[in-house]
Amino acid sequence: MDIRFPYKIHIQFPGDLDYIPPVRKFVSEMLQVSNFTPRFAYRSEIIVDEICNNAVNYGCVTNDAKVELVCEIKDDHVDFQIKDEGGSKEHIRRLRQAMHTEEDKKDDIHKRGLGLEIVKMLSEKIDLEIDSRNLTSIHVVRKREDIEREPKQ
Amino acid sequence: MESQIELAYEDIKGRNNAKLIRFIGDLDATNVETVLEKVCNLFNDGFVHLIADFKKLRYVNSTGLGILLHFSKSAKEKGGSFKIANVNENVYEIIEIIGATSLLEIYDELEEAVAALD
Amino acid sequence: MASKNLKIDIKSGTISKEVATIIFDGELDAGSINKISACFDTIRKDGKKYVIIDMSKVSSVSSAALGELMGGRKLMIELGGDLVLAGMNLEVRTKLSLMGANKIFRFFNDLRTAVNAYKWEFQHQADAIKLSFPSNLKFVPPVRQLVSRIAKQKGYGNRDSFRIETIVDEVCNNAVEHGVQGSDDDIDMSINIDKDKIELNVINVSDPQKAAALKALLKTSMEKQLKIDDRRGRGLALIKMLSNKMSVDFSDKGTSVHVTKVREE
Repeated sequence: MDIRFPYKIHIQFPGDLDYIPPVRKFVSEMLQVSNFTPRFAYRSEIIVDEICNNAVNYGCVTNDAKVELVCEIKDDHVDFQIKDEGGSKEHIRRLRQAMHTEEDKKDDIHKRGLGLEIVKMLSEKIDLEIDSRNLTSIHVVRKREDIEREPKQ
Repeated sequence: MESQIELAYEDIKGRNNAKLIRFIGDLDATNVETVLEKVCNLFNDGFVHLIADFKKLRYVNSTGLGILLHFSKSAKEKGGSFKIANVNENVYEIIEIIGATSLLEIYDELEEAVAALD
Repeated sequence: MASKNLKIDIKSGTISKEVATIIFDGELDAGSINKISACFDTIRKDGKKYVIIDMSKVSSVSSAALGELMGGRKLMIELGGDLVLAGMNLEVRTKLSLMGANKIFRFFNDLRTAVNAYKWEFQHQADAIKLSFPSNLKFVPPVRQLVSRIAKQKGYGNRDSFRIETIVDEVCNNAVEHGVQGSDDDIDMSINIDKDKIELNVINVSDPQKAAALKALLKTSMEKQLKIDDRRGRGLALIKMLSNKMSVDFSDKGTSVHVTKVREE
């Protein structure tokens, strides 16, 4: 059964770090069965990991907070969108800052937001949207580097 | 509950204040604290020179990286060192992206790391 | 040097009547021992036996103060409860680990995680996960691995996780096979998992003929032993044998399979 592009995966899970390893591995495996290279899948796994960690750690305030991840897989690139319920003002300020500042290698590495930095370096495009209800969504695009196609049957 | 990570320890010949730690699995936000506690136990027991063999470490994220940097800092504060060997390409790329290659002592081979112990 | 004043805030009744949350703000040192001790006395007198300490505003902990915390925990354990620590920063956590506190106390990343762990353990809180993916057999292995890993991550044993993986595999295979060929329909899965059981709900838009065949097969299974030489029959038989409850609904929305598996390990 051939896979038809583009396709979408939606996952909604509780704001609990425990869910992130299964979710990131799931995305990696879905990409590998979709003929993306293992390298691409690994880097995507890192992206998903970091944006989910961010959402759980800073974007979940109530005990029953949820996180929603949407992956749109096209044949030459992948789009990740993560939505959380919105964190504190401080969190939003830090997010905006992380999006727009150039990395300053002179900053103490222990103080830098390493996660989003890694995501920025691994993606072509990263956007942040915050709506009036503080729902935060981070949108990441990663292009496929080379395509491994199955031999035609 | 955490991602699977296992730490296997081995003595280093001729060095009673050094330990080899073989990392097996994934190092991420769900298990950094457990790894922190285990390494603290080693520091407590007087092993201030640590060599981490990453041959079977498949995956590290930014939280994992943070803890490696912390180990490096803590070891130095105790007059010791934290060396890493056998890093796979994927993990190395993440360390490189962050600019941490100069902050961590990374060796291609385990033997080189052991030889570098003063 | 005089120790910085330790501020203590006690919150109770929001999670359950036996749980209290203590927020420490400042330094936990020899100078604050009396305050900490008095705090535990108050909690005990209020009939609390489960304490979550929010350590996010704590800048340092001395061994004397740790001793006091250990005393508080001993008190709670004797009452059948526990005392856990949440939200330590890296420095405090390292210091506590060096003092051996990690061998005695359960540590949590933050207050929210500690509260959810309590609810999971003592209030049968269920976690809900929702997943949508395109109807294609190639996607079934990653999906069944996802559910199996979630079960393991939440503490289920290897055997149970394997059985859950098999159940998901069979249910999803059925969903794909009953789907309308060439359509863009997704399969919707919802998972509810708690300490004791996992509930799976899988919905797919069905090809009417295939749905009819499934209905007939299910009817047969009620009336007599399912034929194991029939592939679909085998799949259904497997789901039935591995799970505790299974039912199928047919509606305009599609075919909906509900499976419950009780945790055995």
